[in-house]
Amino acid sequence: MRNSSPIPGANLLADTRNYAWHRPPDIVDYDPAVEYIINRIDDPFQSQMVIAMLDIDAQVSTIVSTLLLQAVSTGKMPIDLAIIIAGPVARYVEIIAKDLGKPYEMGVRDKDEIVITPTLLKQALGIVEQEEDTEEVAEEPEVSPQAVMGGLMGMPDEMVATSEEQDEMLGGADAPETDPMVEEEPEDEL
Amino acid sequence: MQFQDAVKLSIEKFLEGKMPTKLAEVAEEGTLFHTPEYFDQLEEELLGEPVEKDKGEKDEK
Repeated sequence: MRNSSPIPGANLLADTRNYAWHRPPDIVDYDPAVEYIINRIDDPFQSQMVIAMLDIDAQVSTIVSTLLLQAVSTGKMPIDLAIIIAGPVARYVEIIAKDLGKPYEMGVRDKDEIVITPTLLKQALGIVEQEEDTEEVAEEPEVSPQAVMGGLMGMPDEMVATSEEQDEMLGGADAPETDPMVEEEPEDEL
Repeated sequence: MQFQDAVKLSIEKFLEGKMPTKLAEVAEEGTLFHTPEYFDQLEEELLGEPVEKDKGEKDEK
């Protein structure tokens, strides 16, 4: 049987410098990272790409994530820093779009946007559901069944057994004259 | 959460005027340069029109 899994410890011998994200990133601070992306956007080739993406009605968030993924994949910055600087980069792309007079969409949820829920829709259409009876039926308190007095299964009036009865139950009473274990065998007349 | 979702959330927070405050503490000069106010000012300079101030003001409250 051929074992295709790696040998334990193989990762310690592998050359991890093959990929850019295996090495420490070049930029680790906020402002230099924003500056790097802004400079890249200002690059003639990159700015053409940004403008072309705006022309095809791509959302600003999509453009930003494309630019940031490029920077992460080339090892320029770590992925967490890329997420942090997404806001300033998006704002810069927005300014470019405004400057060029391009219609744009940020691609994020507007804070003033009203989320349409089924309840809101019913209210708008005037569909009012009858309110369910919310009055809770007062539950009757559970009453413990009264002790049945009298009868065969009834509780005896006096709960405490007499001392004689207790002795008898504990085996302290005089042994009965006849041993109950020994039963008299009926005489077989046959 | 995928990268695209995280980017959207980050943009949303920035547009609301929120900044990573702890990041400013570890910055070299103690303050961040590329703030929402900086971009408002840049927009005003480039486009020559005042920027809506409600974005930052709402967050400051």
